Amino acid sequence: MELTYNKAHEKLSKLVDLIEDDAIQLDTLAEKVKQAKVLIDFCEAKLRTIDDEVKSALLDKKPSVKKKK
Amino acid sequence: MAKKYRLSELVSEIDETIQNRFAGETFWITAEITDVKPQDPSRNYRFIKFIEKSGTTTLASIDAVFWAKSLNQIEKFEKTTKTTLRNGLELTCKVVVSFNNRYGLKLEIIEIDCTYALGQVEIERQQTIEKLLKENPKTIRRVDEQFITFNKTLELPIVIQRIALITAPNSDGQRDFNQELKGNKHKYIFNVSEFLTQIQGDSSSKLIVQKLKLIEEDKESYDIVVIARGGGSQSDLQPFDDYELSKYVAAFPIPVFTGIGHDRNTSIVDLMARQHKTPTKVATSIVDHNFNFESDIIDFKERFFDAAESMIDDAKESLLQFKRTVKAYSPATILNKGYAIITSNDRIIINPKDIKPNTEIKTILKNELIHSTVTKKTKNGINL
Repeated sequence: MELTYNKAHEKLSKLVDLIEDDAIQLDTLAEKVKQAKVLIDFCEAKLRTIDDEVKSALLDKKPSVKKKK
Repeated sequence: MAKKYRLSELVSEIDETIQNRFAGETFWITAEITDVKPQDPSRNYRFIKFIEKSGTTTLASIDAVFWAKSLNQIEKFEKTTKTTLRNGLELTCKVVVSFNNRYGLKLEIIEIDCTYALGQVEIERQQTIEKLLKENPKTIRRVDEQFITFNKTLELPIVIQRIALITAPNSDGQRDFNQELKGNKHKYIFNVSEFLTQIQGDSSSKLIVQKLKLIEEDKESYDIVVIARGGGSQSDLQPFDDYELSKYVAAFPIPVFTGIGHDRNTSIVDLMARQHKTPTKVATSIVDHNFNFESDIIDFKERFFDAAESMIDDAKESLLQFKRTVKAYSPATILNKGYAIITSNDRIIINPKDIKPNTEIKTILKNELIHSTVTKKTKNGINL
């Protein structure tokens, strides 16, 4: 399912609760860290990057810009 | 045959008669105005008409004029009442009756009583509010002088990025809003779709409703709607006190933010929506809203990684502890401290009862092994 701000917020909040309540086992920590990082990166990127749709629309207008070097 | 008059003679006589009766006298009248046209910038006067009606019948009607010296009365009126001079208004004015041989009979307006006009505007406004409350009980309620509308109770998305902006083309409102939003210090990205329309003057409330309808057709595409008008106290609030527009905003399915610049009154549309004083402040509040979200994320990030780090530190610490314990109990440690291990027949003796006199034993000390035969056994006398 597509990630949204709401879901990312909710999932992160749960992960924080789990880890602060010592409910995460050491052997699953690496996996949880990875999950948290994906969620954080998603939020940070989406706040500051133009949506893919918009981006591709912009690129369509200027198709040659990226290829030239 | 009666005397024939030349037109100018007759008109002069009328003029004289009027002069005799009315010269130098001023009158206060209260009447509805009509035939109001926009000010022609090339002229330094403005014509209107006063009428008095009873139902649909006109009982009286007379032309009136603001000459150059009283044009400032219109400015003062519009500034004080936040209303443009328009047909249907009831004005209280100080007038003199004047006759001009070329232009005929007119009331010259010397002064407008703004207090009265302000009262009228306020009465109209209150009537509109009462009508909104009475006819839209599902979408508009008043609780402790606060208005609770369907629109205001809509939950805001946790992050606002897709904005439908209703504003006038090339206006201060459009510029201020976009500048503040796009230049935000957090470098957040926004996608603003502009719905440009006239936002001042008589028909603009209808035009704004039309834009809202367009937005509603594509409502999944927008997080919020912003109505922005730059301002100044001179501006006319009239379109934003309109019944239909207010009603539409109150029931609108996407949260509406208003930034309608004016320094005194709050328009009715403002009461129906999330009001901010200016377009710039709307933009600031959107950026702040998103920053609240990001602050949460940053807080989560710090707490999560702090917890993960301390989890690893704890694990390291307990491993270290474990190592220490193991080391403390290892035979090498014990022997180093001067303790000995005694064996007999290659078995460690734990219970001294297993050893009888004449048994051969080995005493293991640090680096050396001592072979001996037991000669005697007694209590050790150590009180442990």
